[in-house]
Amino acid sequence: MTTSTENARPERSKRIVDIEHALAQVHDGMTVAIGGFINSSHPMLAVRGLIKRGVKNLTVVGAASSGLEIDLLIAAGCARRVVAPYVGGEVLAPIGPAFRTAVERGKVEVFELDEAMYYAGLRAAAQRVPFNPWRSGVGTSFPEINPAIKTFQDPINGETLLAIPALNIDIAFLHAAVSDPYGNVQYVGHGYGDRAIYAAADASFVQVEQVVSNEEIRKDPLRTAIPGADGIIRARFGAHPYSSPGYYTEDQAHIRDYVKAATAWAKADDFGPLGAYLDRFVTGPADHVDYLERVGLRRLLALDEY
Amino acid sequence: MQSELQATNREIMATVLARDLADGEWVEVGANLPVPRAGVLLAHLLWGPNMTVMIAMTKANVLNEPVIEEFQLITDQRATRWAEAYYLHDDLVENMKFRRKGVFFAGALQIDRYGNSNLIGIGADYRALKFRGPGAIGVCNATVMNSRFHLVVNAHDKRIFVPKCDFVSAYGWGSGGKDARTRLGLPGGGPRYVVTPLAVMDFEDESKRMRLKSVHPGVSVQQVLDNTGFELLVPAQVAVTETPSADELRVLRTRIDVQGALRN
Repeated sequence: MTTSTENARPERSKRIVDIEHALAQVHDGMTVAIGGFINSSHPMLAVRGLIKRGVKNLTVVGAASSGLEIDLLIAAGCARRVVAPYVGGEVLAPIGPAFRTAVERGKVEVFELDEAMYYAGLRAAAQRVPFNPWRSGVGTSFPEINPAIKTFQDPINGETLLAIPALNIDIAFLHAAVSDPYGNVQYVGHGYGDRAIYAAADASFVQVEQVVSNEEIRKDPLRTAIPGADGIIRARFGAHPYSSPGYYTEDQAHIRDYVKAATAWAKADDFGPLGAYLDRFVTGPADHVDYLERVGLRRLLALDEY
Repeated sequence: MQSELQATNREIMATVLARDLADGEWVEVGANLPVPRAGVLLAHLLWGPNMTVMIAMTKANVLNEPVIEEFQLITDQRATRWAEAYYLHDDLVENMKFRRKGVFFAGALQIDRYGNSNLIGIGADYRALKFRGPGAIGVCNATVMNSRFHLVVNAHDKRIFVPKCDFVSAYGWGSGGKDARTRLGLPGGGPRYVVTPLAVMDFEDESKRMRLKSVHPGVSVQQVLDNTGFELLVPAQVAVTETPSADELRVLRTRIDVQGALRN
């Protein structure tokens, strides 16, 4: 404890927070982004936590190519609108089963766009301008099926272009390899589109496999992809069942179990298996450690990259 | 048993794509797209030493790799062993000048006679789709910005080849004419080939209507017409698709597709 103001030294604030603190920032109807890419690097403590808290009517900005983490949010009834150029699991599920079903039944609205329009929208948000122009998509159905995308004549050369509206994100959740206690986040590999999501968000919470020292980050500052997350969440195995580059591969058996359950809802209108999945792995576990215990140490330690 | 020298239809499809590629071109190798992947690597190994192949969001040149392992998922971290550079995904999708040397491969739920295609869904009413598709992914942009693209589908039937797409997520030749793209300010490359398990189609120079180019060995012209939901242009002489040479087949089977994705 400091006893004299004369001797007091200002102390840098640590940004390590509990997942529940981060989730408490999310309210019904917000725009929340979930980072990663198809079968990798999704912040699953956040995804399961949002479901467990019963958050509703979210506009969910997925990754440029989203995986089944968005499908899960849809299955659990958290999403009203999805901003994603793809929702699926590649060979594990070419189209997300809950995504497909919810859209066909009119329960979820899609903000229809392709990956380039998606990044143009994120960049507009990051630049604090109302839109970014984009060329590809002129002549297609996009401006018809997504009325937020407007065709316009550019004032410089008079060319016909699309105006992609800014995709402003209230809170972004990401998953990365390491961070120091001050929110300097580094990835193993390229980090997919997470930087663009971070730049478009008002606040970002990043789950990491490990918190490391500031000295460790400063060994290679060029690798710092996110120089100032608002909150860092300790999350060993926090992307499970998806991969975390440098740490573990995706858990294909677990993902296939989810797909089977979601497909039963999609094909036979039977919510039973999906309800059981949610009970066992999402709403049932008391916390992340409980979740990991339910998955099982033997399974987790078998997710080897090499 | 399959004969050592007889190519499968998927190996023939890959070879068609390979023969369109030239040295120095830039090509994305998607995951779980075994036919385009094999075509790209075949061209790279045999006549494209300066090609750039993008594997799992890395820039790579795998010319000297004896066997190029196939990955099931685009996020497979092991593919980064070949990386000369990482593409941040937003850079990859938003930086467009390098795509002038690029060639792209697109799949589709529906394709019309002018090579317009749809990945969004099936149904007359967008708000009440009968079938929700996967979404446009990066296809809308990549089919505009690359020097050309090929449509590659795993089936040839009237569900795919339709008179009119319910939605157009990748612009081909619009409602026809060789200036259909430049009129809209789009680069003029557009769709070049449509490759299916039955045949190869291209687009007639002036009208840009889809035209039968060749049928694969053992496939009749009538069979193609019967499975196409619009009128294809058919030249007086329809060639049989060229099959891979013995050398191409050897490279395919011993270096590119060791696991046999194209043979199963």
